[in-house]
This record gives sequence, structure tokens and C-alpha cells, in this order.
Amino acid sequence: MSATVIEPEGRINEVHIEGLALMEIVKHCHDSLPSMVTGSLLGLAGNNGILEVTRAFPNPDSGKDDEIDEDFQVEMMRMLREVNVDNNCIGWYQSVYLGIYSTQTVLENQFSYQTELSPNAVVLLYDPLQTANGNFAMKAFRLTEECVAMKQKEKNDFIKPANIFEEVPVKCTNAPLAKAMIQEWTPTSDIELDRLDLSTHSYLEKHLQYLCGWVDELAGEQQKFQYYTRHLTKGNNKTKASWDTSEAPKRMESLLVNNQIQNYCDQMDRFAGGGLGKLFLAGGLHKEDGSS
Amino acid sequence: MTSLSSKMSPSSPALMMEDDPDAVTHVIVHPMVLLHVLDHHTRRQEASGRVIGTLLGRRDGKTVEITNCFAVPHAERGEEVAIGKDFNKQMLALHMRAYRKEAVVGWYASSALEDGQGDLIADTSSLIHEFYAGEADEGDPIHLVVDTRLKEDAISVRAFKSTPVVVQGEPLANLFHEISLTMESTEPEAICLNKMVKDENPAPKEGEQVEPLLLSMEKLYKLLETATEYVDSVVEGKITPDAEVGRQIADTLATVPRIRPEVFDKLFNDSLQDLLMVTYLSNITRTQLTIAEKLNASLGV
Repeated sequence: MSATVIEPEGRINEVHIEGLALMEIVKHCHDSLPSMVTGSLLGLAGNNGILEVTRAFPNPDSGKDDEIDEDFQVEMMRMLREVNVDNNCIGWYQSVYLGIYSTQTVLENQFSYQTELSPNAVVLLYDPLQTANGNFAMKAFRLTEECVAMKQKEKNDFIKPANIFEEVPVKCTNAPLAKAMIQEWTPTSDIELDRLDLSTHSYLEKHLQYLCGWVDELAGEQQKFQYYTRHLTKGNNKTKASWDTSEAPKRMESLLVNNQIQNYCDQMDRFAGGGLGKLFLAGGLHKEDGSS
Repeated sequence: MTSLSSKMSPSSPALMMEDDPDAVTHVIVHPMVLLHVLDHHTRRQEASGRVIGTLLGRRDGKTVEITNCFAVPHAERGEEVAIGKDFNKQMLALHMRAYRKEAVVGWYASSALEDGQGDLIADTSSLIHEFYAGEADEGDPIHLVVDTRLKEDAISVRAFKSTPVVVQGEPLANLFHEISLTMESTEPEAICLNKMVKDENPAPKEGEQVEPLLLSMEKLYKLLETATEYVDSVVEGKITPDAEVGRQIADTLATVPRIRPEVFDKLFNDSLQDLLMVTYLSNITRTQLTIAEKLNASLGV
């Protein structure tokens, strides 16, 4: 990458995203539905532990391969530089389908960003399908130091699934002129009332369906381990080193699935919790209605 | 879709010309475009008074929807204008790779800062407009002006199109006249805007998930109260009744479903059981996960 990287001191602990970049991501992700897309983030990592994202641009959808078209990226940044846009790549974004992010692709991509570009690179995950009913679903993630260190050693080691990715809080900021604009143009339509939507079924159905898939996959991975362990015992070859050979099943796969399921459980719990709340509210309203 | 009508200034009737039937009469602009123009204006070269750029979108009959845009470098000196034509071409090519459906529909400019003429459209605008007439797919480009001078307490946005003034077969000048403009945002864009406003005025943080629901309920409650107040005062004869409002209230009340108690109880219990089931399943899964994690950790030790 030809970008100049300005190294800040220390790790960042918060991501500030400008409204414009936010809109660009939202637009790109929604326009490209149903396919999932990626793009780059431009901005600056400040010394106060804040990563500022000021612009975002899409990666062209290159068909099937997951390779990011570097020529496009470099060219786009060169063009944007001519009109005084921050010319500093600080991460990437991706649209995700119902919170499925714990995958090998995201891990590898983020790993290369964090090792080659800057240790402060983040990935913004935007969920076009969960952004509905008044909820906004965008999260910033990066790999933990522990995970990066482990991947650099290229060993087939164990890491706690919850410690692979870490979330960084995201906050939206606006330039003064943009502030003036949104003060005037704020939509008066009530997305607040959309939250009272009582239907939960399709959402939970989809979640359960995916959960089943993930559990199957986890079981598959476990089986691989089982076969391999048996194979080792037969050969009386119980050394630790045999887990680092190339034929040993990769632990990361199963750990990622583990992390994904954990997240799904959390999402479902949260959603079910909210659903219960709304349900009892509706129930209460109805009873009062009936008695009066 | 939410839509907001812009503050239209009454365009003077003197400028109205007889239109050909296919002419564009209405422009829809998405909030991202405006944010982009403002950002571009903030990042302008110190010397240049205003910035310009290309508008992308689609044209559907008499309506033009502007969905995207990009900045184009340019320089103005007196009567002369230099536009980054190559830049425009390359950037367009790059854009087309990511968004295939958008076409050039016109250009934007922020309003010039210096010279107190107070014109939204500078003299050089017609030159730039001519360039874009060649660039736009169907000719007849739209010119969007974002007033960034902040003379009043507002950022106003106006859309223009131009008609050549021809005298005895010789084109003399271009006449810009205003066309109506609305800002529309799709649902995700509205949610996004809402988030921008909310983060701007951070509310005291409490329980993350409960709070929004509480807010929604309070809002609903307030709306109901307003409606009740109105109806009460009409009944008491304080306010002269408005049939239109009355009809709307009646319509709204009619959409409230009447469910018999036993049916409602069944619905209630079914949903409750579903939700509890899901929670139960997710807890079982968690237990399994913990075991899987332990197994994985003990491998090869």
C-alpha cells in the first residue's frame, strides 16, 4: 500500500466516524444487497486514543474471489487526495449478514491490515438487515494483541474464543456545517415508534436456522479432532509437536465457529429479552383495555 | 420513505418558460449528497471560493433522483474556468466499477464566499454547465447549489436547470431557472441520520436495551395524550372541530385490532413460550460451547 502511515502512540480505544462516512457505508451496503460487500476507510488515528474515520469508499465487487483489488484502492486514494480528502487508510468495512462475522476471511483480512498497515486498523461491520425498526447495527472490531501474536507465531495453538476479536466503541461525530444541516433536515418521521413492532418470529427463525448450521459445523470440527487424536494414539506419537504439523486440523476454525455461536446466543438472548418486555407491555395494555 | 420538502423560494414567474414535455421538473436529493458537498466545501483550497463536483443518480421521466456524487477539482479566475476533465473521467470510471446503476445527472457547487454580489450562481456557472451538458447521459444536466455562506441561519439547497436563450438563431446566454427539490431518505438513511443526531446530543447512559423501548413508549404515550386532549376539548366545545382531523383519528382507532380475550391469551402464551424456548436453547448451546472450548484447550497438552 502506498499510503503514508502516521503512527500514533498507543492503542486506540474509540472510533469516531463522521456522518458522511457513515452514510457512504450504509448506502454502499444497502445498494449491493443481497451480496455482501467490503470497502476501505480513510481517516486519521489521533494521539488521544481516538481513531477518526472521515471517508469511506467501496471496493468494486470483483466477482467471486475475495481478493481486494489493490489497484482500485490506490487509484481511488490518489484521486481523493487531489480534492483534499484524508489520504490515510485506517481500516476497512464489510457488510455482514445477521451478525455473521467470526469467519476465516474476516480474520485473515483484519490480520493483514493490523500487521501490514497499522496496529490500529479496525474493521467496521455493518449489518444491513438488522438495521431496521429503529436500530442501527454497526460495530467496530479488531484482533486482540494476544490473537495477533499467536497468528504471527503460526502455531496451531489455543486461544479463548472470546479473545479473538475485541470490540471498539463507535461514536458518530459531525463537522460544523454538517451539524447545521442535520439540525434543519432531521427526519421528523418516527423511527422511535418502529421499535414497538411486536413481530419477532422471522428474526428468531433465521437465527435458529443459522445456529443449527453453526452447531453442525462445530460438531464436524470436533470430529476432525477426534480422528486425529485417535490417529496419534495409534502411532504412539503423543508429543505436542504433532499438533503443529500441517496435517493436524486447524484449531482456529473451530474456535471461530465457537465465537460465532457465542455471539448468536448473545444476540438471541438480547432479542428475546426485548421481545419479552414488549410482549408483557402489550399484554398489560390489553388487559387494562379489556377491564375498562 | 421519508420525505421533507425544502424551503422553496418562490421562483419569479418571469423566468418561467414554456417547457418541453420531457423536461425535468422535480429533483430528489439524498442526504449523503448534501453531506458530501458540505465536507468538500470544508476541505476546499484556501484560495478557491467555491467547490464543484459531479452528481450521480438516475432519471425517471420528469424526476431526477440524486443518489451519489464526487468532488472535481477546478479553478476559476475571473471569466476563465478550468475543470479537471481527466479527473472527472477517471473518477467516473472508478465509480462505475462499484455502482453500476448510477449515471451522471448534473453537477453541484457550493456558493462563492467572496464578492458580496449575493448570487447563488456565478457568471462562470454557465461554462461549467456547458461542460456537464456534454457529460450527462441524457443531456439537460441539473445544477445543485448548496448555500454555505450561512447568511441566514440555514443551509439552503436549490436545484436549477438551464435553458439557452437564443436570439435570431444565435445562442446568447444560458438562463438558469429553479425547479422543485425535496430531500428523501430511505429507511436505513433515516436511521443513520437519527443516529447522527443522537450521538450529537448524548443522553445519559443507562441500560442500553431498555432505554430505547422506554423512550418509544413515552413518545407513544405523549402522542396519545395529545390526541385525547384534542378530542376532549372538541367535545367540551373549546375548539371548533376539524372534520379532517376527526376522520384521521377515527381511521387510526379503526386500525387497532379488536381481539377477544381468549384469543389474545393464546397469542400471548404462544409468543411467550416461543421466546422462552429460544432462551432455553441458547443456554443449552452455551453449555455445549463451554465443553467444546475446554476440549479444544486440552488438545495436544
